Amino acid sequence: MKKTSIEAAVGIFMIIGIICVGYLSIRLGKMEWTGDKYYPVYARFQSVSGLIAGAHVELAGVHVGKVYSIKLDPKRLVAVVELKIQKGLKLSDDVIAAVKTSGLIGDKYIELVPGNSETLLKPGGLITETESAVDLESLISKYVFGGTK
Amino acid sequence: MKKTEQNALATALLPASAIGRWAIFIIRELGRIAIFFVKGFLLIFSLPLQMSKIIEQIYFIGTKSILVICLTGAFTGMVLGLQGYYTLVKFGSEGLLGAAVALSLIRELGPVLSAIMVIGRAGSAMAAEIGIMRISEQIDALETMDINPLRFLISPRIAAALISFPLLTAIFDVIGIFGGYMTGSVLLGIDPAIYFYRAQTSVLMKDIAGGFYKSLAFAVVVVTICCFQGYYTHMRAEGFGAKGVSFSTTSAVVISSVLVLIVDYVMTSFLI
Amino acid sequence: MELPLIQLSDIYKAFGDNKVLTGADLSILEGQVTTIIGKSGVGKSVLLKHIIGLMEPDSGKILFRGRLLSEMRKSEKTAFKKKFSYVFQGTALFDSITVFENIALPLKEKTPLKKAEINNLVRKKMDQLDLQGVDEKYPSQLSGGMKKRVALARALVTDPEIVLFDEPTTGLDPVRKNAVHKMISDYQKQFGFTGVVVSHEIPDIFYISQRVAMLEGGRIVFEGSPEKIQQTWDPMVQNFIHGLERGHKQISGIESHFQGERRIKEEMARLQRYHTPFSIIIFKVENLEEINEKLGPTAGLTIITNLANELQTITRFTDTCYRFGLDKILLLLPNIDREQTQGLCEKLAGRILGKDIFGLTPHSGLCLFISASFKEGQKGGSYEQMLLQTQSMQNMFYEFKVC
Repeated sequence: MKKTSIEAAVGIFMIIGIICVGYLSIRLGKMEWTGDKYYPVYARFQSVSGLIAGAHVELAGVHVGKVYSIKLDPKRLVAVVELKIQKGLKLSDDVIAAVKTSGLIGDKYIELVPGNSETLLKPGGLITETESAVDLESLISKYVFGGTK
Repeated sequence: MKKTEQNALATALLPASAIGRWAIFIIRELGRIAIFFVKGFLLIFSLPLQMSKIIEQIYFIGTKSILVICLTGAFTGMVLGLQGYYTLVKFGSEGLLGAAVALSLIRELGPVLSAIMVIGRAGSAMAAEIGIMRISEQIDALETMDINPLRFLISPRIAAALISFPLLTAIFDVIGIFGGYMTGSVLLGIDPAIYFYRAQTSVLMKDIAGGFYKSLAFAVVVVTICCFQGYYTHMRAEGFGAKGVSFSTTSAVVISSVLVLIVDYVMTSFLI
Repeated sequence: MELPLIQLSDIYKAFGDNKVLTGADLSILEGQVTTIIGKSGVGKSVLLKHIIGLMEPDSGKILFRGRLLSEMRKSEKTAFKKKFSYVFQGTALFDSITVFENIALPLKEKTPLKKAEINNLVRKKMDQLDLQGVDEKYPSQLSGGMKKRVALARALVTDPEIVLFDEPTTGLDPVRKNAVHKMISDYQKQFGFTGVVVSHEIPDIFYISQRVAMLEGGRIVFEGSPEKIQQTWDPMVQNFIHGLERGHKQISGIESHFQGERRIKEEMARLQRYHTPFSIIIFKVENLEEINEKLGPTAGLTIITNLANELQTITRFTDTCYRFGLDKILLLLPNIDREQTQGLCEKLAGRILGKDIFGLTPHSGLCLFISASFKEGQKGGSYEQMLLQTQSMQNMFYEFKVC
């Protein structure tokens, strides 16, 4: 009698806990590590200032993936960004990746501009055409003070 | 002449040797604790499995902690919502509240605070219970019956902690996120859709996995320290009997709380 | 000589600076009950714990059937431990589970028996030990004596070959005490187990043990049969087994009382059968209360102890001397008549006068009155009658006054 009630209480605890874990990992974490829905591509940028892991990747304004990680290439001293792109979305190998800002001081995200090439970018491939983050400060100073050179 | 020189040298080195002794003591103690944990952990899998004991311990460590975890989780989330809102509103980005609350809960506060709450609720009780079993020779009695006290007493607790801690942390996180929603959206008027959208988009699986690893690490730290302190109550130099148990309980709570915070820092620096 | 089942040789054990065992040797023979006696805190329990491996000696060897315990392989050690049971002094019952579960635990954890079989065995053992209706209680709800019996049941439920008892009867009432002694001895006869008992129940314990060992100063100072220990000349052993060393026994004085009563009854039986005369003298400190009032509560005890020690030095080893009441010491003298007794008293008076029996600096105006009454053993008549007659006024024949 007493034992079964303990077992039931433990069972309820486990169910609540597992529901919470499920909520966290499926709703919030989106279970990327299953690797089923996304494939990785890489892109090199001169600067990704302001971009963070987890930022959106958009194509024509539609959410198509996420920035998975940002690392520095120690040889070339450029930023290497790993993007996770939804499976089923085929990108050509001359696609352009640009770091954009939503609004004036909003979050940075990556905008993909499709290219015309026939060959497709393979999973794990490298996007060669990139536009770095716009340095808003230098842009403003240029506008205000006029290009000194 | 030479002798006095030697004496002088010895006196000069006194603080150094004291530090050395202390260091050796700490290292030995760490080794003992590690061996204690590894033995206890491996014995979880020795047959026959002690399922009913593990369930009993999950009941004690997990189920009975739900209420306190819910309460602390809710209020932590609520206060994060309040503080976050008034900080973010200065930058006009109160829309990020969801992200702020969810990330700080999942990465840091969830694992740490639930570990500390469990230390207070179950860890102290564990140390006291095992300590009393030690001083009333119950552990010796197990040994004379050829029942391995580590397997009988410690292994079920380690298993139960490893199961309970991540679940409690998850409950804490979810309740906390809804707590943040309560203050952020219901009280201060952020659009709930934005709150949850931000929470969803900002949290990565990496964060959740990190929080999960942390909670496992804290489970190991808490259960090992608390059981260890109780188990070796009789070896304490400061006090015997009931006094020894009280010392054990105190040091179990203090050491495991401090260690949780230290381990948290170390793990965060690796996970980021 | 046969190979001892367990042999401890030259065991040293210290806790920090406190050297408890300093070269203890002990042999335990198979199928016998060996009793370890000795003063409280002398390390009897420590010695017992070495036998089962709960403690490891700093140096020295422990042999089990000629095999070194420290060199045993794990499987051997398991087999070795299976043969043992240990009854703890403080019972060491698991206080978070019920009495029934406590007794069933060793079976449940260490045998492949089915639940029903375990229940049967536990039930049987509980019936044997007079433990009915406590199955569902927790150890903390039981009385001390009850707990003791539960601990015994737990130790015996596995039918062990070797049982170590650490003061199995301390805290039991006399009836239950005898029951436990009887049970140990019956079981030993029935199953032939080897018993090692740490006990203070002198001389009761002598009747159930085949060997007695006395631990003193970290060593075994005596090892032999109970008859031998009672005849030994060693004053340390004598003092101890007659309960006249200052120790906790003395404060109660009850155990030695039992012993004295038994001795007197023996002498009375002998007188009845063989016509050997005997006498008893009762020394009474007449003003013990006054002394206690003026000099503090331990003063009386000191005086009684000193007096007893003095008596001890002049008596023969066949004499028995025991504390008979708070203020009385009884001396049993076999084969002695009136004149000899008188002589004895004079001898004693001489000794007392020369000594500081107060054990303290003498107080002005405080005198110590000790009366001695004498009675020769008579045929017929009971023990109680004899004691009453001895204490009556007409038998008082001597009075000491020490100032």
